[in-house]
Amino acid sequence: MLSAQNVTKTFGETQALNAVSLTVMPGDIYCLLGANGAGKTTLINVFLNFLSPTSGIAQVNGRDVTVEPLQTKRDLAYIPEQVMLYGVLSGLENLDYFAALATGQKQSGVTLLRLLADVGLDETAAMRRVATYSKGMRQKVGIAIAMAKEAKALLLDEPTSGLDPSAANEFSQLLKKASQNGVAVLTTTHDLFHAKQTATRIGIMKRGQLVAELSSADITHSDLEALYLQHMRA
Amino acid sequence: MRDANNSWQLFCTVFKHEGRVLLADRTLWLVASLLLALLCYALFNGLAHTQARADVASVVLKKQADQQVKNLDLLNRMMAGKATPEPFANPADPASIGSGMGARYAVLPATALAPVAVGQSDMFSHYYQVTYRSKLNFMYDSEIENPWNLLSGHFDLTFVMVYLLPLLIFAVSYNLLSAEREQGTLRMLLSQPLGLRLLVLAKLAVRAFAVIGLATLVPVLVLLVIRPETREASALALLLLWALLAGIYGLFWLALAAAINALGRSSAANALMLIGSWVVLVLVMPVLLNLVVGQISPAPSRTELATRTRLITIDGLNRYNKLLSTDYRYTDKPEILLPKDGKIEVPPRRKGAYLLQRDVDNEITPVLDQFDRQLAGQQALVERFGFVSPAITAHEGMAALAGNGSRRYMQFQTQVGAFHTQWKQYFEPRMMADTAIVPADFDRMPRFTWQETPKAEVRSDAGLRAMQLLLLTLALGGFTAWRLRRYPVV
Amino acid sequence: MASKSTLRVPAWIARKDFSEYLRDGRLHWAGGLVLILLLTALAVGWQNQRAISGERAVAQKLDYSDWVSQNTRHPHDAAHQGMHVFKPEPPLSVIDPGITPYVGSTLWLQAHRQSEVKFRPAQDATGLQRLGQLSAAWVLQVLGPLLIIVLGFNAFAGERELGTLRQTLSLGITQRQLLWGKALGLLACLAVLLLPAGIAALVASLWGLTSELQMDTTLRLLGLGLGYGVYLLIAIFVVLAVSAWAKTSRVALVVLLGIWIVGTLMVPRAASDLARTLNPSPSRLEFASKMNADLHTHYQQAWKDNFGVDKRWGSDLPLNKWGVALQVDDHAGYGVTDKHFGDLWHAFEHQQRSQEWAGLVVPILALRSFSMGIAGTDFANHRDFSVAAEQHRRLMQDLMSADLVKNADSLDNKHFAYQADPKLWATVPRFGYQLPGVAAAFQNNLLSLLVLLAVLTISVLLARAACARRLL
Repeated sequence: MLSAQNVTKTFGETQALNAVSLTVMPGDIYCLLGANGAGKTTLINVFLNFLSPTSGIAQVNGRDVTVEPLQTKRDLAYIPEQVMLYGVLSGLENLDYFAALATGQKQSGVTLLRLLADVGLDETAAMRRVATYSKGMRQKVGIAIAMAKEAKALLLDEPTSGLDPSAANEFSQLLKKASQNGVAVLTTTHDLFHAKQTATRIGIMKRGQLVAELSSADITHSDLEALYLQHMRA
Repeated sequence: MRDANNSWQLFCTVFKHEGRVLLADRTLWLVASLLLALLCYALFNGLAHTQARADVASVVLKKQADQQVKNLDLLNRMMAGKATPEPFANPADPASIGSGMGARYAVLPATALAPVAVGQSDMFSHYYQVTYRSKLNFMYDSEIENPWNLLSGHFDLTFVMVYLLPLLIFAVSYNLLSAEREQGTLRMLLSQPLGLRLLVLAKLAVRAFAVIGLATLVPVLVLLVIRPETREASALALLLLWALLAGIYGLFWLALAAAINALGRSSAANALMLIGSWVVLVLVMPVLLNLVVGQISPAPSRTELATRTRLITIDGLNRYNKLLSTDYRYTDKPEILLPKDGKIEVPPRRKGAYLLQRDVDNEITPVLDQFDRQLAGQQALVERFGFVSPAITAHEGMAALAGNGSRRYMQFQTQVGAFHTQWKQYFEPRMMADTAIVPADFDRMPRFTWQETPKAEVRSDAGLRAMQLLLLTLALGGFTAWRLRRYPVV
Repeated sequence: MASKSTLRVPAWIARKDFSEYLRDGRLHWAGGLVLILLLTALAVGWQNQRAISGERAVAQKLDYSDWVSQNTRHPHDAAHQGMHVFKPEPPLSVIDPGITPYVGSTLWLQAHRQSEVKFRPAQDATGLQRLGQLSAAWVLQVLGPLLIIVLGFNAFAGERELGTLRQTLSLGITQRQLLWGKALGLLACLAVLLLPAGIAALVASLWGLTSELQMDTTLRLLGLGLGYGVYLLIAIFVVLAVSAWAKTSRVALVVLLGIWIVGTLMVPRAASDLARTLNPSPSRLEFASKMNADLHTHYQQAWKDNFGVDKRWGSDLPLNKWGVALQVDDHAGYGVTDKHFGDLWHAFEHQQRSQEWAGLVVPILALRSFSMGIAGTDFANHRDFSVAAEQHRRLMQDLMSADLVKNADSLDNKHFAYQADPKLWATVPRFGYQLPGVAAAFQNNLLSLLVLLAVLTISVLLARAACARRLL
């Protein structure tokens, strides 16, 4: 479970986050919408303890991320917009490394290959150097790492940007499966369509504030678009 | 306990991974092969230089032995009436034996670790021909060397360790963290339950193991194999101390790289800052300290020494004019060249010359002592303030371990001075009392035996320097650990 | 029309670059450090030079007056007491002390032995001295190129990464204009730093000199300016060439730092080692025994020819022939010592020449030689002084022997009983040594200057080729 309570983050004169409060329960897929610079990535960074909140608390499973950083990271899986890996190593070797760091134990080669197959990377591809991978392939490795972790919360930053429609669709299916397993998912995106398709709850951020929060089932695609544009223009 | 176990697991995972990445992107291969080539070249130079000096020393001692045999032989034949001596090369005449004809050499042997540092061994002589003439006649001779070469310096092991090793360490560690951040993998790493400090520590450990391990191991192994003197217990201890000093010196630079990475700047900025620190600590600081030490404790004037010597000589010439104006008698009476009843007529002119030289020595010794004192003073200042730069600490430490530092040469000169006094004390009464030299005397004449610096002193000096460097390294480590708390991951 | 714009565009580019260097702090930090070190070096050098010069002038005067005013005594003893000569300190040792720490400047002229300089200033210093002596020459030779690297490594590579390079070229600026503009910008930075240092150097070296010496020194300073100018220009063009060629500024920085370390730190030492291995200097023992063996033969011959004796200073030589014997003996030795020392010194100079040729690859070697030569602190200058001193010694010795031949050999079986008239001492002239002139200095060091100019040409061509082919 992810929870932000009145989280504020100021950088000098700019307020990147202004008293943002939200909760993502297990099984929820919460989608944050907003323009560039609205504060979506900043909020994710606060959950990851990459930035400390100026005030307010961010919690993962009831634990404050600044007080127990290592424990909270055990319960958290993160897939950034650009999954960057070690180019000189293969996909399999990268997964081996990150999975070992994630779980504290070395996973067997069979397990790792199975994880990669699950996300759509066959053995030949897995053995190639990551420097040769496309963005989509790298993201698949990122997903495999997240899955290897079997974390209870998942953070995603613009996961479908730069993916072609079929890949984006595959991705949404994976998210749905995760939420069915009781994982709390927080994702940020520009993609209104997939937000409505995939999310259970939607939040709209503007200039560091959470200006709207609603249940995905309560609104249609076109209304969502209208609401979004209305907030953006205001 | 479980946390410690877990941390150890993570450490090993990162360690292995780092090794794999460094090997795969060829940086480590390049740096390691370069380091190996430099170490081998430097060791070759050091060994060749040491061998050359040892060869000269053995030639000198052989020459001395041969000359003694010749002198003894001539003296025996003279006693048997089978030969007549030259007036200025008469083995029965203490005035001849005490000067060039029978002079003894004082030789400074090289230590086991001599190939490690050329130090001052190309500036100061390691052998002196001691006669009863004034010290000024033989103490300032040095080996023939092109001054351009003295100016350029040597490509020895100490040069590689003090100047070049830090640069090689920079090459593998300047972007320790900044590369991960610039590549984007840092976010991936730190979203795992991996402490940033553990990550940095593991990364440092790989580099320490690979680069510093190689840099300390290769010279130790090469010396153990090629130079058997290093296998003896006390020399082995010094060799291991050298490895410790070199290792900690390397760790200092690694810690500096970590500290600069912890500031959170870009890779290029890190590289510039590291090079800047190196320029200041390794190039500029020693030069500045040398300058400051020279200003605080300047060398007395050698011009002044020359003037004083001349004045004393003039005095002496006046004082002993009567003796000096006495003509040689061997042209009229060649039989006076042979000893009779244990007595031989030492020409008054030679007595006068000796007394003149003796008086010069007596008068000039306080002036020379002043030179020694000021040099010791400068040395003490360097030791006190050497902490401003680890390069100074390491350089001086390695030269001392190799037995080629200024201090050992000063000690040699002091011991030669004492031997010189002994030599004069043997010959003066014989010359003044016209006592002839007999064959048995050759074994009784003073011999030079070098008293080596006690190993314990050398060990504690090296140990102290290693401690100094360790403290600096730990301080940097502390700073790094503190600064990493606010490291900007994004 | 075309020439006006050819100059204006590079000037604009230079001006923009210069303000960038000022703003991002590099000029302040790196340039500031270099300037402080230069001024410190000049100040300390000046202070030393004045102290030493003054002291030596006084000592030389005192020495000669002591010689002239000595009592009556046997001339040979006076020759054994001898006289001291002191090498004058060249005015430009303020900038480049050259080898002076490693050669002494006091020579003791005595009978019988070729005088060798004894007291090396470096022996009166600790081992730190070997790590480098602070001098303006050292700062410019070692840190000068580093400064240029720090300022210019991303001259092209950085702009390429930002995208501004493409923009500039699309405006119709040619690559050549860009290259000259960037070179001019770096030159401007150097000028700003070196101008105050240059003025300080001028004042420090000309202070208290006679007017003809001032002219000589000024010409030498101009020569030094030329040499160092060419060297720093080489650095500028090499930096720009690498910056244009490298794909990223990180690569450019690493490559340039590598070149700097190898070129200024490693190769000079390795070259010195190599020269030593290829042409090893004899050990003192070897040199002495070879020379003594040669002397022995010559002495034997001379004594046989002149006195018909087999042994030198043997018992068969009567005392009333000692004056002539001293003369003969000394003269027999002159040719031999001249040959042996000449060969040794020739070997030293040969070693230096070969390093000057190596300057084609590693320009610092050529500059070092040129700088020392023009400043008057190289081995050739030292040799000149040593030879002049030796001539003076022989003069003194010969005058003493001549007097002995005239006055002592006429006595019966006496030699040392003869005490010379004190007026004899004044017949030995004062040692008037003038440092070699600037014309000789330039003549001797023409090769290094030509090497530097050749390297400059190559580096300009490299920079132009890199710009033409790899700029974008």
